[in-house]
Amino acid sequence: MIAGGVAAGVFGSLLGLGGGVLIVPLLTLGFGLPLREAVGVSLVSVIVTSSASAGVYLQRHVANLRLGMTLELFTALGALAGGLVAFMVTDRVLAGLFALLLVYVAVSMLRRREPAPAPAVQPHPVQADQGPAADAHLPAVAASGWPSERTIDRLSGPGYRVRGLRRGVIGAVVAGLVSALLGVGGGIIKVPLMNLMMGVPLRVATATSNLMIGVTASSSAVIYLLRGGIDPYVAGPTAVGVYLGASLGSRIAHRVNTRVLRSLFVVVLLYNAIQMALRALR
Amino acid sequence: MIRQAEPLPLADARENLDRAIARLLVAATLTSVGILAIGVILLIARGTSPLDLSFERLDVARIPADLAGLRAEGFLWLGLMVIVATPAARVGVSLVGYARGGERSMALISAAILTIIGASILLSSSGG
Repeated sequence: MIAGGVAAGVFGSLLGLGGGVLIVPLLTLGFGLPLREAVGVSLVSVIVTSSASAGVYLQRHVANLRLGMTLELFTALGALAGGLVAFMVTDRVLAGLFALLLVYVAVSMLRRREPAPAPAVQPHPVQADQGPAADAHLPAVAASGWPSERTIDRLSGPGYRVRGLRRGVIGAVVAGLVSALLGVGGGIIKVPLMNLMMGVPLRVATATSNLMIGVTASSSAVIYLLRGGIDPYVAGPTAVGVYLGASLGSRIAHRVNTRVLRSLFVVVLLYNAIQMALRALR
Repeated sequence: MIRQAEPLPLADARENLDRAIARLLVAATLTSVGILAIGVILLIARGTSPLDLSFERLDVARIPADLAGLRAEGFLWLGLMVIVATPAARVGVSLVGYARGGERSMALISAAILTIIGASILLSSSGG
């Protein structure tokens, strides 16, 4: 179990995932744990990796704390609802949803390209006078009160300006729901949401998502913990293993060919998706 | 005469808060993983597979006795509690930092997040 946690931690770290998409199949398909218990254990492991990496990102001032906290208010709401719903649905429904998530992650991985050189980012409007045309592509944020220009200024960072906050809020609720139901960090939703829809640079979006995962996962992990949904004998070794694996992964990342690893990982995800789908149909 | 401290510039306040939270997260993660590791070692020393053990619900009152008796359960539950509480502690530190810096809206957001986590605890305690 510790070795499985280490493997999940190494893979997750090398591929930029929290590890939940690996831990849940490992515990259910590999160790025969009920899906809901596996989700509870996975949430704990996800908090560990999130807290460890968010600490480093904050020290380096990469994560946007204000934006992260504003969005995590809504992921926490989604996670609260998801945590309560998770105890009402059957294992088969959860397995079916997890199979869909695995296919989504596999497709996202296939479509993801190697990181391109950082594009020239727009100067922050507070820092540079851009004139009225510069913000023409942005939605009319202040027309109906929220979010105000001042709020947007506060949530933006050096070199970029946040847009589409309303869509971001809706996406954050969905990410919270998915996280609580399926035991994943939800980074696979939050990172594209912030990067593609809200104009946050990829590096900042990844760091901010990592920061948010802790609160998202803990909002529902509390429910699992107090309702007897977390097995301490399984969660302990798995969390320790994931922490060790994630630490190892971050050290060897520069020596590993992630393109080959990603292709292998997609195969593993699709195999797990089929197994989960079969479990749902049984 | 007591002079009121001037508020820090926004960039400095941001950096200070980031640093304080980073320290908290790193310390809490190391502490929780360390506690869990002790529990895992005690579990291994017992020679039983984790899958063969049936667990009971979390009982906070039993943890001190289990810790004193060097039983794995005490360390495992304590480690898990520290892990789950760490993000809430981070939000608590943010709340204090924003309140001190006079950032009312961010302080309110922090308080709202803590309220949601509190609601999770209440709902799961009352929902059986």
